[in-house]
Amino acid sequence: MSDGPLIVQSDKTLLLEVDHPLARDCRAAIAPFAELERSPEHVHTYRVTPLALWNARAAGHDAEQVVDALVRYSRYPVPHALLVDVADTMDRFGRLTLANDPLHGLVLTTSDRAVLEEVIRSKRVAPMLGARIDQDTVVVHPSERGRLKQALLKVGWPAEDLAGYVDGQAHPIELDQAGWHLRDYQQEAVDGFWAGGSGVVVLPCGAGKTLVGAAAMAEAKATTLILVTNTVAGRQWKRELIARTSLTEEEIGEYSGERKEIRPVTIATYQVITTRRKGEYRHLDLFDAQDWGLIVYDEVHLLPAPIFRLTADLQSRRRLGLTATLVREDGREDDVFSLIGPKRYDAPWRDIEAQGYIAPAECIEVRVALDDEERMTYAVAEPEERYRIAATASSKLPVIRRVLERHPDEQKLVIGAYLDQLDELGRALDAPVIQGSTTNREREKLFDAFRAGEVKTLVVSKVANFSIDLPEAAVAVQVSGTFGSRQEEAQRLGRVLRPKADGRQAHFYTVVSRDTLDAEYAAHRQRFLAEQGYAYTIVDAADLAGPGEVGGPDWVDEPAD
Amino acid sequence: MSSPAPATLASWLRTRSDEQLGALLAARPDVARPAPSDVVALASRLAVPVSVDRALDELDAATLQVLDVVLLADTDGVDAADLPAALPEVPDEVLAAAVDQLTTRALLWGDDVLHAPEPVRRAVRYPAGLGRRAVELRLTLPADLPVALAELPAEEREVLERLAGDRPVGHLPDTDGPGSSPARRLLQRGLLARIDALNVELPREIGLLLRGPRPFGPPRVRPEPPGLERDPAVVDRQAAGAAMEAIGRVGELLTLLEEEPAGLLRSGGVGVRDQKRLARTLKVPEPEAAWLLELAFAAGLLDVGGPHRDEWLPTRTFDLWREQELPDRWATLAAGWLAAVRLPSLAGQRDVAGKAVNALSPDLVRHTAPAIRRSALSALAEYPPGCGVAPDDLVALLRWRTPRRADRLAPVPDLLAEAARLGIVVGGVLSAGGRGLLATGEDGAATGMRGLLPDPVDHVLAQPDLSLVAPGPLVAELADTLAVVADVESSGGATVFRVSEGSVRRALDAGWSATDLHDFFTRASRTPVPQALDYLVDDVARQHGRLRVGAIESYVRSDDHGLLSQVLNDRRTAAAELRRLAPGVLVSGLGADEVLTVLREAGYAPAGESPGGTVLTRPPARPRAAGRRPGGSAPQAPRPLTGDELAATVREVRAGDAALAARRGEAVRQVPGVTTAGTLELLTRAVREGVPVWLGYVDAQGSGSQRVVQPVSLAGGFLQGYDERRGESRTFAVHRITSVALVEDDDLAPSS
Repeated sequence: MSDGPLIVQSDKTLLLEVDHPLARDCRAAIAPFAELERSPEHVHTYRVTPLALWNARAAGHDAEQVVDALVRYSRYPVPHALLVDVADTMDRFGRLTLANDPLHGLVLTTSDRAVLEEVIRSKRVAPMLGARIDQDTVVVHPSERGRLKQALLKVGWPAEDLAGYVDGQAHPIELDQAGWHLRDYQQEAVDGFWAGGSGVVVLPCGAGKTLVGAAAMAEAKATTLILVTNTVAGRQWKRELIARTSLTEEEIGEYSGERKEIRPVTIATYQVITTRRKGEYRHLDLFDAQDWGLIVYDEVHLLPAPIFRLTADLQSRRRLGLTATLVREDGREDDVFSLIGPKRYDAPWRDIEAQGYIAPAECIEVRVALDDEERMTYAVAEPEERYRIAATASSKLPVIRRVLERHPDEQKLVIGAYLDQLDELGRALDAPVIQGSTTNREREKLFDAFRAGEVKTLVVSKVANFSIDLPEAAVAVQVSGTFGSRQEEAQRLGRVLRPKADGRQAHFYTVVSRDTLDAEYAAHRQRFLAEQGYAYTIVDAADLAGPGEVGGPDWVDEPAD
Repeated sequence: MSSPAPATLASWLRTRSDEQLGALLAARPDVARPAPSDVVALASRLAVPVSVDRALDELDAATLQVLDVVLLADTDGVDAADLPAALPEVPDEVLAAAVDQLTTRALLWGDDVLHAPEPVRRAVRYPAGLGRRAVELRLTLPADLPVALAELPAEEREVLERLAGDRPVGHLPDTDGPGSSPARRLLQRGLLARIDALNVELPREIGLLLRGPRPFGPPRVRPEPPGLERDPAVVDRQAAGAAMEAIGRVGELLTLLEEEPAGLLRSGGVGVRDQKRLARTLKVPEPEAAWLLELAFAAGLLDVGGPHRDEWLPTRTFDLWREQELPDRWATLAAGWLAAVRLPSLAGQRDVAGKAVNALSPDLVRHTAPAIRRSALSALAEYPPGCGVAPDDLVALLRWRTPRRADRLAPVPDLLAEAARLGIVVGGVLSAGGRGLLATGEDGAATGMRGLLPDPVDHVLAQPDLSLVAPGPLVAELADTLAVVADVESSGGATVFRVSEGSVRRALDAGWSATDLHDFFTRASRTPVPQALDYLVDDVARQHGRLRVGAIESYVRSDDHGLLSQVLNDRRTAAAELRRLAPGVLVSGLGADEVLTVLREAGYAPAGESPGGTVLTRPPARPRAAGRRPGGSAPQAPRPLTGDELAATVREVRAGDAALAARRGEAVRQVPGVTTAGTLELLTRAVREGVPVWLGYVDAQGSGSQRVVQPVSLAGGFLQGYDERRGESRTFAVHRITSVALVEDDDLAPSS
């Protein structure tokens, strides 16, 4: 019996023992076809899904490599049935290909006639197909390219899209690498994307996804449409592009609620595109306004459903998806696969962290005991009110203050979900508050002051969840949230993970009311963070105030009794 | 040889050597016990139809084809030297081996000239797949048969060609009208014979004509399927993978049943709801759950138990089993499966009534199952290690080997799939464990798997996300404990457990203390216990048991705490068994009326209290019996007879009448239950000559009837025939026939 680092489970999860001498090799071998699901300290969990296997096929791996990797690194014998199943699943990808026929235009061809017969007879697929040219080829209307791929994936025969892309209108874009250079993994990500044509690059928050986008644009040298989650994120893209590429301010347009500029490079928000008036999308023309050569989707995991529908019509343009995670809470990973493209690059967080590009973070849960009055209010509250009462308990305030006092010299963020609480905190901590109603100009001003170090503490609502860049925030204190969503957690953690100038450790505090729903949600959060491999410590509020500990930014030791 | 050739089977047997007779008895052991008194007795035992059938069933297709040559010969007896001419494409050594097999088993006799005994002729219904002679089928074929056939339209010709293949009997299509289908038109032309209401038979002459130069069909030599060849080491490793999976799954299944047994259905078996529940919890498809249940049952690890014997529970054997080494556990499963008389693959399929068969139901019993399994696997075992054949090819090979049992081979593909799930077979190749199992049973199986399956581990890895990873199969004791304190999240080579609030609470409910849990995690985990886990245990423990629940019958309450203390300390109220639960409340295990009585007798003035807290002033309602509801259901009237039932009754009466009236030859009467030679002789004659017979018959319900029947066949104690008056084709048990007589020709002409 071999003593490999990998254990293959019946449900097709793979357990990788990370301390094993072969763990690194094994990870490299299984990464192409297995999604990293959890990476806690000792044993990492990967999952082999049909999508992951097809991603691997799209990236040029074959079933033999997959089976070989499983068999070679597995500690225990792998059941034959599982290997057969893996091979069968992989074999389903590429039986059908979308290609350009010089005579008939877009066609669906097959290497296996039976499969073509099956999909032609499928109710879901049949309406999208045109005339049958010969036994192996069917005409596809170009406008159905995206929907056909979606439908084929649903019936289990994903098509390989080799129909190519239009070049779009050329526009000179160069990376301006003065004083910096593209990191290795960023370069690998761009190369992987460009070789594949379209697809998704998975990088953790703070790992420089914007630069991957910029490098992809420099590769395409064509007009580009960038879709982002909100205006602030859009501005940040614009800043980065001006700083890192040959593009000038005049060449970059902003298409948002406030401004409607269409320039060679246009940055649009999801919101403006999905705005409807009288049931109609008002800004669809944007997609036809230019002969776009590249479309970049920022934060693909948040892509709203209407954009999927629009994207289905854009299959002849190169598409780049950027995200920190392929996990979508709505489970539409398969739409990302079929419409934007397969995963082209993926790097585990911890690896990038180990390379020093994102700050190591320590997660600390501070438990606050509610006073009797609060406990009584909590106990008699309506179920839907309970979380709010627990999360906004005023007993938290002194604890938050103590936490902030521990880091007097750092840039600190206090993040919450309830406006009343944020206002109260702002007053009590004498810190400015940024929330949904804060104007963009006000926001920019405060962010600038924060960046410059003039403001040490900012209180922010969930507007801060997405894409704003606060490079020197070394401490985040989370006081309330939206029910422990994994997505939110990844974003908030991203706030403090940007690399620090001096490589200091980042601190991520969560202040939680003990024995309440708040603590229950904190358990979800704790699990998520532990699964991501972060050190997670639980501290009682009373211990936090221990003598000799206050004000020590490098507090990491056991709390004093 | 100087002496003249023996004239009968008995006299030929006399000429056989002792070794040859020994070989005969070994090959047909059913005739050997009890020992036959002499050669004549032996010969008559060899003629018993059941024995002949059994002997024929064991022959392969090539041997049967040689037998066909002898059976089809015009003369009684075929010179052995003429065989190669009859089957020119069959190699000589195959012929010689076949003749040797047949004579050894006394299915043919004679040294140079081979004779077929009469029972063998009768047992082979369609030699070489040819029908009976036209005469026997009472057909008059056209004088120039080749011309008649050449004139046939393509459709009809196609039907004939098909019947000239392996089976001369075919089903009539369900269309009405005499000329509506090719087969019916052929019937009209007299080229096919009708043998009953549904089936037709092709006369031998036409079959032979259509076959042309190959009267015995294509040579039935052993098929040589393309062999599969794989690295034996790889095969064994993959088999071990399947084995681990099976062992793990069965273990999990039985642990689940231990916690919540599955109910026994009245019809036997496990209910669909229980099966769904198990499948859901095990995260497997439902058919897989059925298979695991069957496997556990076959291995004796699961059976009916419980206080009312109405639950499926793990057996005591399971407790021993889970302590064993993995190879031994596997051997128990594999051996149990091999010997099981049930076909798990039938579970979930619909029976004739259209009802799905439940797992573990008695309907899955097939007594032939072990023999089929063994013969299929033995065929694979003939290949060297690492070699095998694909399932379809194996079925073809088995069909050649025992063509007369081909109908039994239907479950073989499913059986092979099961063997693959167990790790006995991997992709058509027998694993070392499988070989061992076939050769020496359980011990061999365990030996074959030894070294391939890991040793159980006695530790887990605790992780900060509150999961515990057991990096291999667990020792039984640790598995038991973990089942209490954690939930299984994924299983396979390893097991991932998750500790949650719920699981910790379950452990506390089961009597663990927080300290016990901390100790257990520290002891069981090889990695440091994460802080979060300790916190979780303490959090749950802190909340646990803050609410207490107990049972009482009544309470005494008062705002006057002094009065309650007085009552509690009053010796006269001791009979009320009161104790103080909280200030202001006393409780008792006795009923409220008893406590009231005791308190009143002690001189207090208590008042009863309703659940709402109001004082009960009225005496409780007087006791009354629950009366019967007026207007019970009316007795049901007998169901009126339907038109069909009336008609059938009339037809029965008329048929009996007519049979009585039919002039007949001298009847052979018999005592019911004793089949006399006379009856059989008369019936045989009737079948051969195709004359109708008059029957006195007692059916299974004991009612007698008399009928005129056109006999079709007589075999195995059953007479098949067509009852013209009743217009039905049916089967009569010979032992129920009370009298029989031939009907004279002229009786049939005047019909009513």
